[in-house]
Amino acid sequence: MSDSSSLNASVLPDDAAVLARHKPKGIWRQGCERFLHSRTGMLGLVLVALVVAVAVFGPFLAPFDPHDQSAMLDPGAKAPPSWVHPLGTDRMAYDVASRVIYGAPTALIVGLGAMSIAAFVGVVVGGIAGYRGGLTDEIIMRATDFFLVIPVFVVILAVVRLLSSMVVNTPLESIPYLNLGTIIVLIGIFGWAPIARMTRAEFLRLKNQEFIEAARCIGATTGDILFRHILPNALPSLIVMVALGIGGAILSEAMIGFLGFGDPKAVSWGQLLFFNYESLKVAPWASLAPGAAIFVTVLGFNLLADGLSDAFNPRSGR
Amino acid sequence: MRLTIYIVRRLLFAFLLMVGVSLIIFFLVNAVGDPIELMMAETPGVSAETIERMKVHYGLDQDPLTRYFIWLGKLLSLDFGTSIIYNQPVGSLIATWGWQTFKIQVPAILIALAIAIFVGTTAARRQHSRTDFAVMSGALLGQSLPAFFLGILLILIFSYTFDVLPSYGAYSTRGYLWGSVVADGLWHMVLPVAMLAFFNTATLTLLMRSNMVDVLKLDFIAAARASGIPERRVVYRHALRVAVIPVLTYLGLLVGLMLGTAPVTETVFTWPGLGYLYVTAIHQLDYPIIMGASMVIAAMLIAATTLTDIAYVLIDPRIRLE
Amino acid sequence: MHQANISRPITDPLTTSPSSIASAGLSRAPLSTGERAQVGGLVSAGEATEPLVHVDNLRIHFPPRRAPIRVVEGVSYSVARGETLGIVGESGSGKTLSSLAILRLLPRPAQIAGGRIVFEGEDLAAKSDEEMRRLRGKRIAMVFQNPGFSLHPLMTIGAQLSEILAVHERLARKDADARVEELLRLVGISDPGARIRQYPHELSGGMKQRVCIARALLCNPSLVLADEPTTSLDVTIQAQILELFEELKARFRMSMIFVTHDMGVVARIADRIAVMYAGQICETADASTIFSDPQHPYTRALLGSTPRVDQRSTRASGFRLPTIGGSGPTIMQQGDGCRFATRCPEAGPECARLAPLPLAVGPRHIVHCLKRGSAGEANHA
Repeated sequence: MSDSSSLNASVLPDDAAVLARHKPKGIWRQGCERFLHSRTGMLGLVLVALVVAVAVFGPFLAPFDPHDQSAMLDPGAKAPPSWVHPLGTDRMAYDVASRVIYGAPTALIVGLGAMSIAAFVGVVVGGIAGYRGGLTDEIIMRATDFFLVIPVFVVILAVVRLLSSMVVNTPLESIPYLNLGTIIVLIGIFGWAPIARMTRAEFLRLKNQEFIEAARCIGATTGDILFRHILPNALPSLIVMVALGIGGAILSEAMIGFLGFGDPKAVSWGQLLFFNYESLKVAPWASLAPGAAIFVTVLGFNLLADGLSDAFNPRSGR
Repeated sequence: MRLTIYIVRRLLFAFLLMVGVSLIIFFLVNAVGDPIELMMAETPGVSAETIERMKVHYGLDQDPLTRYFIWLGKLLSLDFGTSIIYNQPVGSLIATWGWQTFKIQVPAILIALAIAIFVGTTAARRQHSRTDFAVMSGALLGQSLPAFFLGILLILIFSYTFDVLPSYGAYSTRGYLWGSVVADGLWHMVLPVAMLAFFNTATLTLLMRSNMVDVLKLDFIAAARASGIPERRVVYRHALRVAVIPVLTYLGLLVGLMLGTAPVTETVFTWPGLGYLYVTAIHQLDYPIIMGASMVIAAMLIAATTLTDIAYVLIDPRIRLE
Repeated sequence: MHQANISRPITDPLTTSPSSIASAGLSRAPLSTGERAQVGGLVSAGEATEPLVHVDNLRIHFPPRRAPIRVVEGVSYSVARGETLGIVGESGSGKTLSSLAILRLLPRPAQIAGGRIVFEGEDLAAKSDEEMRRLRGKRIAMVFQNPGFSLHPLMTIGAQLSEILAVHERLARKDADARVEELLRLVGISDPGARIRQYPHELSGGMKQRVCIARALLCNPSLVLADEPTTSLDVTIQAQILELFEELKARFRMSMIFVTHDMGVVARIADRIAVMYAGQICETADASTIFSDPQHPYTRALLGSTPRVDQRSTRASGFRLPTIGGSGPTIMQQGDGCRFATRCPEAGPECARLAPLPLAVGPRHIVHCLKRGSAGEANHA
């Protein structure tokens, strides 16, 4: 019961249609309302908000400085959780709770930084491919395919390691957080392909729609059409991709850190795992805490993305 | 005929990808600097003469482009050079360590596929029910649980707390379980396979469920029911045949993801696989292994995506090839 | 013109719908036994045989259970053996759902909330799922609206059709293939031997619908439900498929419920016509009666708004095709009374409150309209 039914359909058994016909609202209003009703989405939002709060208020929350090793004397290294050290101390006698708290801003900077780069490159590349079409599209999409199949993580590992050994004994060595910056940039420039693909698909879909034609008819410039008509309509799908990507980037950085290729000067969850994994048997808290932090953060962003995609594409099958 | 052309084109594209990957890998490794000098910069006390001799030995005294072609030519005859730290041919290293990776990845994917098909279908048949909600929540959680964190949890529970399963390696170092190499090997595989399977299951189940939900709403399913075909047959013969296609296509990507993160998952269990070999090689800057292993990982990844693309066309007669 | 007000409340002879009898009895003088027999005769045209399928006061609801969305409300009709009933109504008037209800294949979360469906003398609600399954495809078959979607895309035509034979008749592979080929030839498919090895996407739309029709006829069903089988086809193909239906009707002597929104289509194919609006039946009569003597305001409006060749809608002629004012009721606003009341030119205040009960206004002609003398029933929900 589809085709000609939409005009005079009176009893269509479809709750989405009921909502839609009740009172016309903008796509954003509707999406937000649906989002507020989605259990997964709200849980994701809460988790992400929690991580952001910890990152912002970390210095006030953390009982110790992240570089404070004074516990070496009193409870000693690998001390189990206590009132003074709620999550225990680790192999180097750092307070685990404080280190996990100070890891939050690092994680968020990695996630946001890498995804800003990826989103920018992806939208520009995908937008050009989708809007121009033809040969440009063909060439760009082949390149995108290429980036989709290369083993990104493997390449990033090699580059990070080689770069860190290259800067030894050069002036570059003095740049603060050079290693972390490299990791962010690499995750970003190897992560744009899915976004480009999605942007291209959205631009292709939108550019032939009637409202774009109408805009063109009233003399809108190309820039106007791109930035005021097409982009805002492609935005919901992009936001979902970016939310997913932030979680992915944080996870990538954690894995790089876990393997020992992270920035030795930065406090990051992956790094914590790397330092403490060897003593997993004696001091499991020192590995569990950063692991759980990574899990909660990634889960938060994944649920957020899930809720958003439900809210903005209600017919996507969920 | 069109099918043959498509397959040939797809293989050609895969070949081009491999060439591209080889360029990236070779020049990334070399652009950073002379591998020998980098290595030696971290190991003080090596005379300039030794360095010079090593360069000649590893053929590093020629210009990069010539070296690239020499390297590529050797690759084609499966000669990956000699490892600096192991002092063995990289080809045989990759073969032995790669087999260990294969040994845990393939069972993990097969187990995950079987579970995902059954659980995803069951959830889809009871969409919005409590079962469905439980499956969805579990899968969403599982998807966000980083594989290596899950591995850590498994080790803590099964190796350290209950002491029933080994936490590292592919074989016992002293005495095999029940004196049998096979039993010992399988015993060591349990945790790594469980970790990988869990991660794959979560993703595949979500995909399977959402496809199945869509397919069960289609007219030909209603028509099959209206023809009196038993429900089990409608679901597992008619609907599954269509719903499983995107899942199979996704397998290609999943293989890529699993191989790409093998360095991490294998490090968790100190599993002597390709990923672990790669991590050690990077730490030690053993560049023949770095280049060889990343080429092999890339090749497997490209093969996986190419094969799924071709399989997709073979399974689905609707796809019209231009 | 026919006399409009034969004020005689009617209940179908086989029906034991207590609500309608009771309220009919309340508002009207009780009928004498003779009259009752006469009314019964009017409805079933004096046939002693029971109808093949009888739907009585069927109600289909969507959740929430507390305030259900009543998509089909009190629908009753019968189909005699060998007869074709056309159900006409706008999209969404519940005609598809009421035919799916016969198969007990309502899409979730729709549910049968009341009423009875009697097929070959048996109450379908009393059957087990397995008994229902054995009925489907064998005794009752269905042809769907869109042939493009109702065939399995990855199975050959032959595999799909012979599977049904295997399920119901336990035929050997070879015999099944022979039967499939025979039926494909019968529905006008050339070279069936080659077609059974083809996939649906290799066939044209009209071809696919022929295959679907063959599928429905495989086990020689006594009832075929055809849900808008021509709607998605080109006009020329539509005509061919209709012709095929007419041919098969004569040949197989099967009963058919033919659901459509197209008055022109039912005019060709149906013996009797039921007009539905928003989940309620407005009027049921022999096909010729509906066209010659429509009683319900909706039927009249529907016929009035069907274009005819002899009308020219030009500025010069001053003729404009009449339309039905207003727009269809939404799911949210289902009144308790006649659902057409909001758009009905004749509606009075009582129409919105009281649901019109069936009333015989002529031989085999039943109308549900307070303005034609139907008794009204206050809502039961």
